[in-house]
Amino acid sequence: MTHFAPRFRIVQALLYGFVGLWSAFVLMPVAWMIFAAFKTRREIFTDPLGLPGQWTFDSFRRAWGVGLGQFMFNSVVVTTSAVLIILLVSGLAAYVIARSRSVWMKLLYLLIVAGFAVPNNAVIVPLYQMVTAADFGNSHFGIVWVYAAYGIPFTTILFFAFFLDFPRELEEAARLDGCRPWAVFFRVVMPLSGPAIASAAIFQAVFIWNEFLLALLLLTQPDKKTLPVGILQLQGEFTSDWPAVMAGLSIATLPIILLFLILQRSFVRSLAGLGK
Amino acid sequence: MTDMSRQTGATPTWYGRIAASQSMLVLPALVLCTLFIFIPAFLTIVGSFYAFGLTSERWTPVGLANYVKAGNDPIFWVALKNNLIIVFGSIVMQVGIGTVLAAILDRGIGFGQVFFRVVIFMPMVISAVAVALIWLIILDPNIGILNALVKSLGLSPPTRGWLGDPSISIWMVLIVAGWQYTGFMMVLILAGLQAIPKDLYEAAALDGARGMRAFWSITLPNLRNVLLVAVLITTIGGFKVFDLIFVLTGGGPANATQVLGTYIYLQAFTLTNMGYANAIAVVLLAIAVLLGWLQLKASRQS
Repeated sequence: MTHFAPRFRIVQALLYGFVGLWSAFVLMPVAWMIFAAFKTRREIFTDPLGLPGQWTFDSFRRAWGVGLGQFMFNSVVVTTSAVLIILLVSGLAAYVIARSRSVWMKLLYLLIVAGFAVPNNAVIVPLYQMVTAADFGNSHFGIVWVYAAYGIPFTTILFFAFFLDFPRELEEAARLDGCRPWAVFFRVVMPLSGPAIASAAIFQAVFIWNEFLLALLLLTQPDKKTLPVGILQLQGEFTSDWPAVMAGLSIATLPIILLFLILQRSFVRSLAGLGK
Repeated sequence: MTDMSRQTGATPTWYGRIAASQSMLVLPALVLCTLFIFIPAFLTIVGSFYAFGLTSERWTPVGLANYVKAGNDPIFWVALKNNLIIVFGSIVMQVGIGTVLAAILDRGIGFGQVFFRVVIFMPMVISAVAVALIWLIILDPNIGILNALVKSLGLSPPTRGWLGDPSISIWMVLIVAGWQYTGFMMVLILAGLQAIPKDLYEAAALDGARGMRAFWSITLPNLRNVLLVAVLITTIGGFKVFDLIFVLTGGGPANATQVLGTYIYLQAFTLTNMGYANAIAVVLLAIAVLLGWLQLKASRQS
């Protein structure tokens, strides 16, 4: 290693410089959002680049008054329900298909997989009309099923691949102990599918938590809105009160960033799974 | 031999039982996908041959008129062109820089990989709406830090603002998209890099191939499929883009940043030309289905 040490060090410095620069580019807007939230309305004009003069939580209090707590609660309810439905429905479908030898089941699999390619913003007109005609507008119950439907194809693909590799000896053993097929699924297969379930759950949760277009169209009542639609209100509510907007954005984004920092390994593995 | 015959004897009846009586368990998935994906997709295509409003009961058949209208609508072509700019710009920025970052994190630097990976990936978990709102203020001509930075360098920022100037705004969208998704591409490609056997590099080093030469002769060929998937995901994302542009520019100024997604929304829910919106949506649907099919094909190979 030592014989090319000097050149090696220059190259290392350049490489660190590149990732360092990009990291700074990524961190700067987030850091600025937090600093701006603590500034006064005057400071943000007179000294946009500097640190806040004093650290007060006034703007956070103003921002919270918009109903961020309600939006966050709504997002938690909608995301949790939709992800649970996706896991259960896709898990069952993928297992039955993976263990079936019928050609029809393979065709059904291909049909479900075909849904993966359809983006919701390309079919938004009938989707909106159907959901509102069924009187499911402004209802979390309604939007949860739509979110579930759009999560099912990819999750079914994921589970299908996982169940194909699942050791069948374990299922055979359970069967010999007298388990019925559904009991094999719930007592043997699912408990041993932790990594696949976690991966699928994180992936879908990130997308549903952040989903905007459907929520914008279907949840128009203030008490029904989820976070992505709710934070849009900050802009209208606080014209020229930029610290309050930034405080609201901080409240909305920092919990999810914190959760990501805690579970970063699982997050990265889950989302990188899209490439496999 | 006996073991195998026992298995093949037992398997069909048991799995056969699943196929027969449990096959109904596929139904929930099938019903949900049919109801909210396939039927809307079908109705989008059907609706593109009619004229109707947001709440109107009457659908007037118009044949291909909506498609002819799209062909003669300069804004439709601007939107499609903008989608292509975002697609190619994002491939260069997100996949290009993502590959370089991934290569550096994989073999280039000794420590700090986890830290850099976490920081650079982080924007991916924030909602595009929040990202757009943060950048909206950063790019604001009155209070934005970009203006302050440019002025402090002794240069003059664009007079109409970064997002108010039609010739600049689409590039700003591209930068914000790059800010959010380059880290995603990086981890995707990093996973591909880490799957390349390390002894390939050792063998190449014995032959005198290190650094850039090893990158060209080992890394890139082994990464081909992952890169293809990364390019396809970015392409699909570039055609589907909605949130970022809706909040950053709303498609403006003067439709300069309109994309298919925002134009469908504008025609459908602002101007209530539902039939015309469907015709534009069919174009987006066709592109997305084609690319999605390619993506599944490519990822099955890897």
